[in-house]
Amino acid sequence: MATENPASFLDPALDRTSIAPESAIDRDQLVTWYRTMCLARTCDEKLGALYRQGKIVGAVYLAVGQEAICTGVVSLLQPDDYFSTVARGLAGWFLRGVEPKHVIARWLGRDVPPSHGRELGLFLADIEHHGIAPYHNGSMASWIPSGAGFALAFKVRKQPRVYVAFTGDGATSPGDFYEGLNFAAIHKLPLVVIVENNCFAYSTGNAAQMPVENVADRAPAFNIPAEVAFGNDIFEVRRVAKRAIDHARAGNGPYLVEFKTFRTRGHGEHDDMGYVDAGLREFWERRDPLRLFREYLAGAGGLGEAGVKAIDDECAASIEDAVAWAEAQPAPAPETVTDRLFAP
Amino acid sequence: MAVITYLDAISQGLRDEMRRDENVIVLGEDIAVFGGAFKVTRGFLEEFGADRVIDTPISESGFTGAACGAAVEGLRPVVEFQFADFIACAFDQIVNYAAKNYYRWGIPMPVVFRGPSGGGFRGGPYHSQNPEAWFTHVPGLKVVQPATPYDAKGLLVAAIRDNNPVIYLEHKHLYRRIKEEVPEDDYVVPIGVAEVKREGSDLTIVTYGAMVHESLAVAERLSREGAECEVVDLRSLSPLDRDAFLTSVRKTGRALVVHEAHLTGGFGGEVAAIIAEQAFDALDAPVTRVAALDVPSPFAAQLEDAMLPTEEKIYTAARDVLEY
Ligand SMILES: Cc1ncc(C[n+]2csc(CCOP(=O)(O)OP(=O)(O)O)c2C)c(N)n1
Ligand SMILES: [Mg+2]
Repeated sequence: MATENPASFLDPALDRTSIAPESAIDRDQLVTWYRTMCLARTCDEKLGALYRQGKIVGAVYLAVGQEAICTGVVSLLQPDDYFSTVARGLAGWFLRGVEPKHVIARWLGRDVPPSHGRELGLFLADIEHHGIAPYHNGSMASWIPSGAGFALAFKVRKQPRVYVAFTGDGATSPGDFYEGLNFAAIHKLPLVVIVENNCFAYSTGNAAQMPVENVADRAPAFNIPAEVAFGNDIFEVRRVAKRAIDHARAGNGPYLVEFKTFRTRGHGEHDDMGYVDAGLREFWERRDPLRLFREYLAGAGGLGEAGVKAIDDECAASIEDAVAWAEAQPAPAPETVTDRLFAP
Repeated sequence: MAVITYLDAISQGLRDEMRRDENVIVLGEDIAVFGGAFKVTRGFLEEFGADRVIDTPISESGFTGAACGAAVEGLRPVVEFQFADFIACAFDQIVNYAAKNYYRWGIPMPVVFRGPSGGGFRGGPYHSQNPEAWFTHVPGLKVVQPATPYDAKGLLVAAIRDNNPVIYLEHKHLYRRIKEEVPEDDYVVPIGVAEVKREGSDLTIVTYGAMVHESLAVAERLSREGAECEVVDLRSLSPLDRDAFLTSVRKTGRALVVHEAHLTGGFGGEVAAIIAEQAFDALDAPVTRVAALDVPSPFAAQLEDAMLPTEEKIYTAARDVLEY
């Protein structure tokens, strides 16, 4: 693939190589978000290592490079709002209280709730503890109809709650994307669709996935508002997502936000990304969301290099502890395989 | 007790549950303003309002997925497919989301999928199918197929109260043809329990759905000829009441399995295999199946009749098993 002009990688109006909030934000908040993103990055890197060591079997999928989106969006949710992620939402889970040790144990196929070895560590549903709704991540876009269903339940019960469905760019092509948003728009359901456009669906670029430049260009079919924004700036993510969440919560129906981003690892760790242009990689590496946030915090954010490094070190240590805990968990007993097929 | 049709029994069961539990909602195409293609939900919109009786766009996968999500959140949606044939469009949401949700997460999903199914009235390839085997192959789904008004109401109420996804296949050809006394009050027919619809000692006919009626007619005819058939109506295919038909086969020593769906890969193959595995010693004749031919449902009367299992075909097969 020929190296393209960097300007064509991203609309210059969206682009930036440094970030800062529009108005002052509480220091503790900033630290919480940074720690969440850093923890997710550290955890993902560890998962990749465990995969290469053969300790995680099958495949492993990481969210490296996309941490700002779910962190920013989930930071805006109320405790009784629901969300669902696909493959790039680890930081969002952590912000909602999911512990790395449980995620790693699930990746290792250990007997831990709620799936007890029945599902990959990539997927999680835990309404009771984290407001993460069960979604059918098997088939792309299937979570848009079910997200509309949760939102329908909120509406029928007159509850001011929202459902946030994270989705990839590739997952906006299957019929379920259309059917789910169509239904949600007809009934003005509180469904917020956050599209993480990371330039690729597995190896297939946007241009081979859709006849429009932006996913957001599809929104007129549903007569709903849509925006395109830069997804590697946590402050921008929060600014834009807040409009979407407020709109849905107020009873105005669905809202779509498309965040431009990039996954800096392969689709899964088995993928060498041979289909990615070197210039594109470099372009996005300079715009890595953790790097942008770190530079802000160490500088104008007031934490200083030492302050930020202390958080980095803390994350590294806690992931090591999490791995030790996870490896000590038992595997599920074979005789449990037929348990829990039906609810009582 | 009033004598009502199979259709009215379904309608009554659904209406009663909606009155009892405000979490029950219904959704599907043309079910609100129009009352449904077959009028199962006639008057529901007026009684329960547009929040609970929802006309959906033509998007089976979309409204099925929505029903599944709403079910997790505590509603008890009953989805009507206009014809069971179009459940194919929602296949993914049913087999990959609904069926697996509890196993994966331990989170219940109480949702009912009503599929007006079956042929015999010249509906052609897309308004005649019996799709039960598509779903009995999928762990995590319950599949029921009532044959009588009493069972239709009782199984629907049981399905709505069940905390799992239930595929409820109602046979269109029974809607207005089959009537019986049905209690007005609250009762359930438990899912997973078969019923012996007629007792006999010479041959067991294991069947369900519309073919229960054909099988009973054959049993009467054979009775006049001196052979007594026991007709076991499975009612639920998943979970399956194996004991009911195994007990019967151990008594009669002969088994005929009858269903309206296609022969190959049909549910009858499963029943036959269970009998072969667990009641082999009791058999005096090969387990035999009567089912639809392995072709799509044709439109012309002569072709559809040739394709469907008829009373005559069941009678001939039954005689063969009895005389083996
Ligand atoms: C219906 C369906 N077809 C194919 C797949 C296999 N698959 C899993 S992820 C994926 C690419 C998804 O791309 P995108 O939506 O852009 O998300 P990303 O991985 O980039 O975050 C594919 C093809 C699937 N899960 N579902
Ligand atoms: Mg993508």
